[in-house]
Amino acid sequence: MIDSQERFSEKKNFFNRLILIYVIFAALFILIIYKTYSLQVSSFSDYEIAALKNKTREILIQPSRGIIYDRDGQILVNNVPSYNLIIKPSFISNFENLLDEIKSIVELSEEEIEYARINFQKKASLNRELILKKDLSKEEIAKFEVRSYRFKNVFIEQRYSRQNLYPELFSHAIGYVGNLNNEGLDKVLQDQSLSTKETIFYYSNGFIEGKTGIENIYDDRLRGKYGTKIFEVDATGKLLDELNEIPAVSGNDIKTSLDLESQKVAFKAMNGRRGAIVAVKISTGEIVSYISSPSFSVNKIANGLSENEFKELLDDVNKPFFDRAVQGRYSPASTIKPAIGLFGIENEIIDWDYKINDPGFFILPEDNRIYRGWKKGGHGDINLSNAIIESSNTFFFSLAYQSDINDLTKHLSKFGFGRNVCNDCFLPDIGLLPSPAWKMNTHNFGWFKGDTVNLGVGQGYLSATPIQLAYYAAILANKGTINKFSFVKKDSLEEPDKLISANIDVSDWEKMHESMIGVIDNPKGTAGRLRSLKDYPIAAKSGTVELVSTETKEDYKIIRENEGNRDHAIIIAFGPMPNPEYAVSVVIENGESGGSVAGPVAIAVMNSLIN
Amino acid sequence: MIKKISNIFRDGIYFDQYLFISITLLSAMGLVFLFSASQGNLETTIKQSIFVIFGLVLMLLVSQPDPDFYKNNALAFLLISLFLLLLTAFTGKEINGAKRWLDLGFFTLQTSEIIKISLPIFLAAYLFNKSLPISLKNTFISILLIFIIANIVRIQPDLGTSLVILIAGLYVLFLAGLSWRFIGASSAIFVLSLPYIWNNFLEPFQRQRILTLFEPNADPYGSGWNITQSKIAIGSGGFQGKGYQQGSQAHLDFLPETETDFIFSVIAEEFGFLGVCVLLSVFLFILIRCLYLALNARDRFCRLTIGGLSLLFLSTIFINLAMVIGIIPVVGMPLPFISKGGSSLLSFYIAFGIIISMATHKKLMRR
Repeated sequence: MIDSQERFSEKKNFFNRLILIYVIFAALFILIIYKTYSLQVSSFSDYEIAALKNKTREILIQPSRGIIYDRDGQILVNNVPSYNLIIKPSFISNFENLLDEIKSIVELSEEEIEYARINFQKKASLNRELILKKDLSKEEIAKFEVRSYRFKNVFIEQRYSRQNLYPELFSHAIGYVGNLNNEGLDKVLQDQSLSTKETIFYYSNGFIEGKTGIENIYDDRLRGKYGTKIFEVDATGKLLDELNEIPAVSGNDIKTSLDLESQKVAFKAMNGRRGAIVAVKISTGEIVSYISSPSFSVNKIANGLSENEFKELLDDVNKPFFDRAVQGRYSPASTIKPAIGLFGIENEIIDWDYKINDPGFFILPEDNRIYRGWKKGGHGDINLSNAIIESSNTFFFSLAYQSDINDLTKHLSKFGFGRNVCNDCFLPDIGLLPSPAWKMNTHNFGWFKGDTVNLGVGQGYLSATPIQLAYYAAILANKGTINKFSFVKKDSLEEPDKLISANIDVSDWEKMHESMIGVIDNPKGTAGRLRSLKDYPIAAKSGTVELVSTETKEDYKIIRENEGNRDHAIIIAFGPMPNPEYAVSVVIENGESGGSVAGPVAIAVMNSLIN
Repeated sequence: MIKKISNIFRDGIYFDQYLFISITLLSAMGLVFLFSASQGNLETTIKQSIFVIFGLVLMLLVSQPDPDFYKNNALAFLLISLFLLLLTAFTGKEINGAKRWLDLGFFTLQTSEIIKISLPIFLAAYLFNKSLPISLKNTFISILLIFIIANIVRIQPDLGTSLVILIAGLYVLFLAGLSWRFIGASSAIFVLSLPYIWNNFLEPFQRQRILTLFEPNADPYGSGWNITQSKIAIGSGGFQGKGYQQGSQAHLDFLPETETDFIFSVIAEEFGFLGVCVLLSVFLFILIRCLYLALNARDRFCRLTIGGLSLLFLSTIFINLAMVIGIIPVVGMPLPFISKGGSSLLSFYIAFGIIISMATHKKLMRR
């Protein structure tokens, strides 16, 4: 039996132990309350955001890309609708039945059916739409539409493709769009602080960006802003109610300075030959024609080429992807002569009356090396004006010989050589304007007087792109001033940049214009064949770029057997004179004669611009 | 027979208004919470209501017999519950890979919930008349019994209930006067054998749950999902809560097991810190009342029983809350009187019925 003493101590022992456990638990419960408090009160905002993130899903809405117009408001690049057949799997109970019914109306390929079968369950559970067939034909659309009452959860959805209405005409100027890569996408979305979970696409080929040309340079402006739809979602990601929508903002349209008509003429005149044409409006610096030839179809690139087609384009020896207008380097050849002549006037090495005797060659006094002109026997006594008209090499050899190379380089730079002359061209090359410092750096060789003499006729190291030649022509036309070129039409006339000044006055410019008019209109002019192609005065200077140096015409006949050895044909021109509106440069690779091969192309473009 | 029953009621109805009212209030709150946690499922809520009403009646009935009735029949109760437990192991109904239930047709009985009650009562009955300090032999017999039963439940597998059975048994042993020396020695052995327990007694998913506790963000969409979502639910409830049936975590299926283990997260999300405090106050009231009753019980058996059962209740609450707020691993433990589940609900009504019986019957004087 338990005595009362023991009973008392047992009871006390029990009390102590029970209270001990209660105290331990009291501490544990304070911990729980503290933890709950810290979750619900201290860290409330973090968890509030986490819960909100959990239950909402942002779906992007792709904006529509801006339309690109020519200078008269004609559409060049547009978004054209394509039609997709869409089903809503979450509302469809018997998919196979539905498939059979649809198959009786619209033909479905094995791959399309396979794709739909694989994705049906997933799309159904997430309440997403499924594209059954892309790019329906008009007939298919009509066939489906009349029976659409039978299909509650099948509908036709419109998406768009980027379409250049003149796919080969503007392949280099406007360029093409392509799929945005992941980094590009991240950047675009980051700018708008969006995430990329899902997108409602406006374009049937998904995320697009401008890859080349105007599409690339003005991508930001054309793109627009993504909108978002915010949905409530459950834990499985199934879309429930739409909570909010911020609509997408369409991209801005761009009115370019390009002129569709003259572009067509230029493209036709080029006729697929390798070369480039750049024509500009002198008063504004707007580019009105821009051709690099041969061309390719931008629509094919944008909407998917087969691997073979793409390889074919890449491997084409004529390099259609190469934008000759801003990336092709050509020696200016004789087209440089007006600039050299003006240098002589500016530096008072010569004046308009200064004459030399041209025996057909120039002997460099330092080493007795002979520099030949194009005409056997030479041009006799000749002044600057006639040296331009007849394209005397000797005159300019001699003038260059008397010039300081550093001053000459500086002078040529003012005409755009060795500089980027365009505000919004895609990956422009700046050509090469040689100088003694450049030669020392790259060739580890000192500058020879002979290098300067070669420069006098635009041969040797000097090279320029067709757009630089057009810029040069425009400065000549505009008497020393010009706006930097651009593809976008300007609403107001800007004050052109004054580039050439000093010792050249208006009468000098006018005399130079006269001389260049003479290149076509003077009986002795090198481009006399062009006279009949126009009915107003045009100033021009042709050039023929020697690719292989030959001593005699007979030698040339031998090397020209290989087409790649033939001279390039170049011309710069502006008109109508005496108040020129447009300047143009034309390069035709291996075209042999600046005056008679490149010339007609330039005149054709000029005619289309002026009429 | 009739005389016997009328004898039971001879002194009127045995009834503790504090416990009865607070448990009824808690049960009613539980039904309100469950309706929301079950996405407004009326069937679930009605079924639970029937259990609640039945449970309250059961509690009243169970509190009528004299404590001696439980003391004298403690072994019989234990043997019956052990039999049911073993029956479950052989013929039980398997749900989600766990064999915990006996299918009775109208009701699936979780048999571990019964032994959870009968084991502490048996231990109280076994130990109440042993002189202090408890002999080593009695200690070993008790501990062996506790471990065998806990282990049968563990291999179902049901780590949560097995844990509760283990600690409920140990509470009684401790309250009965287990020597401190023994406690110290066995604690040391327990700590030293932890690695062995980790490797041999825990299922891989149980180990994963424990690891998850320490690094819930390591795999937020996998093993950390439950606890991550539970914390978001609780935290986003804020001070005032999102409003009844307005919890996005609960209603958009981010929270798992909203009706059972994670019902507290639903309450915290919809009623906020305020709601949590109200709920905990009711629990606290019940626990303090139990402490009072234990301290004033008529004899050692009653003291041990009230102490053991109330600590069982307290531990269940603690494990559930600590689990859903992420301070202990997820073990599967209902919140008493709130979570869905008939067996657990009824077992606590029975436990409180017995507590009331122990507390309200005065010592019978032998004539």
